[in-house]
Amino acid sequence: MISRRSMLRTGAGLAAAATVGAPAILHAQTKTLKITTWGGKWGDIMKATVLPAFEKEFKCTVSADQAFPFMPKLQASAKNDPLYDVFHTNSNEQWSALTEGLVMDKFTTKEVPNVADVYSWSVSDKIVGVAIFTSAIGLGYRTDKGLTPPKSWKDLADPKLAGARGGYIIPVNSLGQCHLMMLGKVYGKGLQDLDTAYKALEQLKPIKLVDFTGQMEKMLLSGEVSEGVIHDSGVYRYDGQNQPVEFASPSEGVMALEQVLNVPPGSKVKELAFAYIDYMLRPEVQKLLAEGVWYSPANKKVKLDAKYDAKLLTTPEKVATLIQPDWKWYNARKDDIDARVTKILKS
Amino acid sequence: MSAAANRKPFDAGRAAYLALNLLLVAFLLAPIAIVVVFALNPTPYISFPPVGVSLRWFQKFFAGSDFMNALFLSLWVAACVLVLSVVIGGACALALARGRLPGRMFLTAFFMSPLMLPAILTGLALFQSYLLAGIGRPVWGLIMAHTLVAVPYVLRTTLAVLHNFDHRIEEAAAVLGASPTRVFFEVTLPLIQPGIFAGGVFAFIVSFDQFPVSLFLVMPKNETLPVVLFNYMKFDLDGAIAAASMVSILLALSVVLALERLIGLKAYVKL
Repeated sequence: MISRRSMLRTGAGLAAAATVGAPAILHAQTKTLKITTWGGKWGDIMKATVLPAFEKEFKCTVSADQAFPFMPKLQASAKNDPLYDVFHTNSNEQWSALTEGLVMDKFTTKEVPNVADVYSWSVSDKIVGVAIFTSAIGLGYRTDKGLTPPKSWKDLADPKLAGARGGYIIPVNSLGQCHLMMLGKVYGKGLQDLDTAYKALEQLKPIKLVDFTGQMEKMLLSGEVSEGVIHDSGVYRYDGQNQPVEFASPSEGVMALEQVLNVPPGSKVKELAFAYIDYMLRPEVQKLLAEGVWYSPANKKVKLDAKYDAKLLTTPEKVATLIQPDWKWYNARKDDIDARVTKILKS
Repeated sequence: MSAAANRKPFDAGRAAYLALNLLLVAFLLAPIAIVVVFALNPTPYISFPPVGVSLRWFQKFFAGSDFMNALFLSLWVAACVLVLSVVIGGACALALARGRLPGRMFLTAFFMSPLMLPAILTGLALFQSYLLAGIGRPVWGLIMAHTLVAVPYVLRTTLAVLHNFDHRIEEAAAVLGASPTRVFFEVTLPLIQPGIFAGGVFAFIVSFDQFPVSLFLVMPKNETLPVVLFNYMKFDLDGAIAAASMVSILLALSVVLALERLIGLKAYVKL
């Protein structure tokens, strides 16, 4: 984990960089940029370092909303005067927002120059806007329960894990939705083979379900769950804390949990919003956040310290294991899926 | 008489009654007990039996500027809501009970309606209204929203007192020469005070714990404690949440005890 000292040092570096590189037009104005952002360690780093440096460089104020739910608030505000100028969510919500005309589709390198340096997953056809980080969704497991480290998604169905495996309340959690699609892939014809996925889900019972990934982390730490679906950062963040938990990337591939930034078309400070996204893609900002919260950076030029580089998706080979779900397809049938999985899991 | 003769026969009905009451008390207190255990347990997750006693989560809570800002904002909002709802709810109750207003039943139902709507819808509706009116999400907007859902509590408790109110006492004061203002402050208000203050206690607690209405109305860096706790829980589910809950419970209890000392809740019990 990144230390306070190194965070401050990097912050000072970011502040020093504030003297160069910013478009003159932005320097001439004081504006407010309204963004959504996460809480937790991510929020701490943003508030302590990343946002103050951005405000200084672009002579603006950033109003960062950490209070969920973001999507209904954006929906409720006027399209020509949206509540947010930069919309940070996971990919599934970005697709919903695009369907309703609340966000832009893609950015050009003219709008966000650093897009030229990102991995292909960051701007693939499965992404609306641009993904600035991703986590890998795989399996977390206890190392003190005599379990063989999981190699396949199918290992979660091991009868020995009955009642000690963990999953999510699928209608409200995108990791659970990814897991469902992955069940279709590993047991059937592909991510969209829902009938097979439902049957495989049935076989995972009894399974402990949670709403948030934070709850899954705690269930793994407390031993309430011996193996469960989780993103790599949810396990790696306990690195060095002597906790008996480890992350496994199944051989069939890991699912992508992208952190996506986008801009509502009606934003009054669109140039500043683009500048913010470009700033978030800068190698130094990417490195700071990637090492702070164990997210894999989107920018190919980022050089992480060895400890992080060994575990995160920082090479083309490792990136190739990443599977991006088709959220447009999923969202279109979400109501039916929710009804079906609720029926399966409530019994 | 012998001791054996004095001994009462076993009363199965009474025993069942006591057992049921004990079960109910345990049911009500069990969540608080779990919160206490979690708050004092040093592990970053819920474990039972606890492995020790530590104040690290309380230290984290009180050292966190986000938590402290949210706590003070929640207290400030709740205090404002208490005053506003007591004034508005008390006045409404008097008008409804004494004013011979046309459509009295409708008005009573109207004022009570915030309790019947899901609070999340009230929050969303107010959020949209504020945005349409172009006022954004100021703190006073949050206070007004909380007041909206808190007024019915004051209204109901005050109406309950006024239901058994003896008007002849006011008439006697008036006959003896007291002005309407003096009658109100020296006769009416002291008599309905238990109902108003009991409603005020509810209003304070409803505002302090309010989550669904606040969810849409809080501004960045101006978030109330329940909203901060909810967001914190999504990323860091540790004992700081339990410590915050303990602090909330103790604060609510302090308000009740303070009002008990000031006006005496025994008066409310008579309701």
